[in-house]
Parts: sequence; C-alpha cells; structure tokens
Amino acid sequence: MENQGLVTLGLLDLALAYGLVLLAIALARLRRVGQEGQMLWASARMVFQLFAVGYLLHFLFAVKSPLPVLAILLVMGAFSLQVVGARIKRKMPRFYQVVGTSLFIGCGGVTFLFCTLVVHYSPWYDPRYLIPLAGMIIGNSMNGASLAAERLCAEMRERKDEIETALCLGASARQASDTALRNAFRAALMPTVNTMAAMGIVSLPGMMTGQILSGTEPIIAVRYQIAIMCAITGAVAITAYLILMQGYRHYFSKAHQLEMD
Amino acid sequence: MTYPEENKPVTVRLEKICLVRGNREGAGVQLLDDVSFSARSGEITAVIGPSGGGKSSLIRLINRLAEPTSGSVYLDARDIVGVEPLQLRRRVALVPQKPFMFEGSVLDNLQRPFVYLQEPPPGPESAEVVSALALARLDRGMVQRDARSLSIGEQQRVALARALITTPSVLLLDEPTSALDRRTADALGATLHEICQSQHLTVIMVTHDLRLAGRVADYCLYLEAGRILEQGSAGELLARPKSPQLRRFLAEPSDQED
Repeated sequence: MENQGLVTLGLLDLALAYGLVLLAIALARLRRVGQEGQMLWASARMVFQLFAVGYLLHFLFAVKSPLPVLAILLVMGAFSLQVVGARIKRKMPRFYQVVGTSLFIGCGGVTFLFCTLVVHYSPWYDPRYLIPLAGMIIGNSMNGASLAAERLCAEMRERKDEIETALCLGASARQASDTALRNAFRAALMPTVNTMAAMGIVSLPGMMTGQILSGTEPIIAVRYQIAIMCAITGAVAITAYLILMQGYRHYFSKAHQLEMD
Repeated sequence: MTYPEENKPVTVRLEKICLVRGNREGAGVQLLDDVSFSARSGEITAVIGPSGGGKSSLIRLINRLAEPTSGSVYLDARDIVGVEPLQLRRRVALVPQKPFMFEGSVLDNLQRPFVYLQEPPPGPESAEVVSALALARLDRGMVQRDARSLSIGEQQRVALARALITTPSVLLLDEPTSALDRRTADALGATLHEICQSQHLTVIMVTHDLRLAGRVADYCLYLEAGRILEQGSAGELLARPKSPQLRRFLAEPSDQED
C-alpha cells in the first residue's frame, strides 16, 4: 500500500486471521461434525511452533559462525528421519542406516552443490539462504524417502514368487529385484514430477508467492522457484536411488538368496 | 570318480542335511533332520510324503535358494557351496509349484534366462526356443501368446520349457501336477519321463501325487516330519512299504490336494 515494500502484520491483524480458525471451529461445533478439538490443538501448535522457529531464525541470522547453522541442519535431517521412521509400519531391514545415509548424502550433496554453484552468496553458511533452501530440499526428500522405503518393502513382499522364479532362472539379486526397484523409484518421484508439471497452472508455489508478497520482482521469484524445484528433484531422486540400491541388498544373502523374516 | 557299471552316475548327493528355521518365539523348528540320498542321471527321483513334511524346503537347498543349517549338497561330487550360485542355478533348474509367468508373451518368458545372462535372446524360430517348446510338448504357434492368459496346465509347461531352455543337467520340480486334472497330469508325467531319458537329466520331483510317482519315478523317498523314513526303488517302495507311517500314507484315499 504505502510506497512498495511489504505490509507488516500487527498482532491485531494476526488475531483477526486467527478468528477465521475460530469461525471454522464454531461451525464444526454447531453442525456437530466433530474435529473441533483437533483443529484447536493443531492451530495452537502451528502458532507456537512457527513463533518458536521464527525467533530461532531471528537469533540464528545474527550468528556469524557456521557451526550453529550446520547443527540446525543436522537436527532438521534427524527429525525428518524420525518422521519417515514413524510413518512406516513395516520397515525394511536396517531401515535407519539405509534411510539415514541416503538422506544425508542426497540432501547434503545437493544442498551443498546448489548453494555453492547455483545461488552465489557469501558466506556459504549464511543462514538466511542456507536454512530455507536446505529446509525445502530436506522436506521434499523426506517424502521421497518415505515413499521409496515403503514401496520397496511392499514390492519385495508382493513379488516374492516373481523374485524367486527369476533367481531360479539364473538372475542375480539385482536382476531379480528389477521390477520392484523400478516401481519403487517411480513411486518416490511421482509427487515431485507431478508438482513440476502442474507448477504455475494448478498452483503457485509457496516460495514464489512468498517472495512476491515480500516485494520481489515476479521474474526473479520465478527464477528462484525453477532453481529450487530442480534442486528438489535432484535431491529426491538421489535419496530414493540410494535407499533402493542399498535397501534391496538387505533382502538377499551373498549367495543371491531371498531372505525374508 | 567311478561308479558301478550297472548304475547310472550319481549327479546329486545330499549328506546329513539338517534345516532349522527360527520361529517368532526364538525357538527353532526342525524342518529337515539328517536327510541323505543320491539322485542319478537319467532317473526320476520322487520325494513323497504328507504336506508340511519338509519336501519343498528340501529341493530349495539343491539349487541353493536356501542354505541348510548343517550338511552338504554335492553336484557331480563337488560341494555346491564352492560353486558360484548363479552358475549353479543354470545347471540346476527349479520349477516352483505355482508357475510364475513374467509379463509378456511366452517367447518373452523363454528369453528371460538369456536376458539374465546378458546374452542375445533367441528368436521365435531359433533352435533353443523350438527345442524347448518341443520338450515341454507346447505348440510352436504359442510363442506369441500372452503368457498370463494361458491355462494353468499350459503355464506349467511354459515354466518347464523356460527351465529347460538353458539345458540344465538337474531339474527340480515342486508339485508339478498339483494344479492339473488327471489327464493333464498324466500327460505331463509322460513328458517328464521322456525328457529325463532323452536329455540324461537328473529329475528330483516333490509330489504328493502317488499316481504320478508310481507311473514315472525310478527312485522314491518317503519324507515325514523332516526325516526320510524309507527310500528305495519306486516300484518296490510303493508296492511293499515297510514302515507303518508309509503304509498309512499310501492307504489314505486321496491326499492329492492341499
């Protein structure tokens, strides 16, 4: 409104916005559709968590050393691993080792390359860039990892007869698991690929709208969005690939025998 | 190694095989207990016995799909632990009870073993495909048909042709006739008998189809609760059972379905 810049939200404005949630809760209560408890709890969690992370970032941005920033990234990574672990009921053998190393290499590698080669900023650990970029990469890789791990486990179980038939015909463990690995990889990448294909038409991505709202030129915001989507796709693909390539091995013995339960 | 002249050469020998599988409580379940026998080239060895007696577990040890807890399996007098497993499985083919058909045509299925070997797969008119189809008594016109649309009997034969196409020396069959009606089962039995003779194959066949065992087997083992209770020439064993268990098993009217 005034000049350009961004409109700051006052606490009163926030309270008004929160009124919309209360409205929804009142509606749920009035029409007896339930869920009001969960809505109240979730909205309270959101407010608390976001303020907490906001203040954390606020202090972190003032820090002039890489260690706290890296520590935050590690916590984010560990948390995402824990989320994947909690989400999957039937885990593949050595689940945490496989998924943990894959997330670490996939997200770490892509974030590092992306931040040093694509987005030039200095110092390299500047939390203002590193944390949100790594956060997006880790968040998406987490979804990819959980899809890859879950699907691999299901495929190995469903395709037991197929895999053993292939082994009987002289296939190696890798050859016998080929279809399972292919399907799991596709499942892991599907959401990312769909998001890319629909981007700009079905949805305006969060990061881009955020940048536009805070006054960035749309064309620059678009460039950022394209770059981060590419990084996300790369990280999801690498993480899923590493999970699958390590994961299938744990279903077989060295003598190419399928071992289950 | 020399063999007595009157006998055909021993190709597969199992010695003191024990197989224990851990269950959920941590206690081991003994699936096979001190199993020893020999199978000869050009002969069909039938492994008979009640369900759950360890028959299927037994043949999975011979192509090393599974590992015994103790004991050894010898192929041509060589311990199979010393043979590269993928090489071993090309020499010792196993046709599982439920024939699994890969997506695609019969030809695609027959080409699978070559794909795994990373060799150029033989075409529909190639000597390999034609002779494998002939051995399994399959019509040559069948190669382009969708393998999964075939009847169970036909799938059983495709699985047999697929196992024979790489010319193994040992053929392991798990309940080859369990899904077949009597006429188809008899035809398959006759096919097996001929292949065994013409290709000098060593056939080890797990079955609880006593009719099949009686018609085609040369040698027979009776396996119950993981132990071989009796073994000997098939005619002798089936006609004059010694142990009360085998006598009871043979007397049961029809134990042909699971």
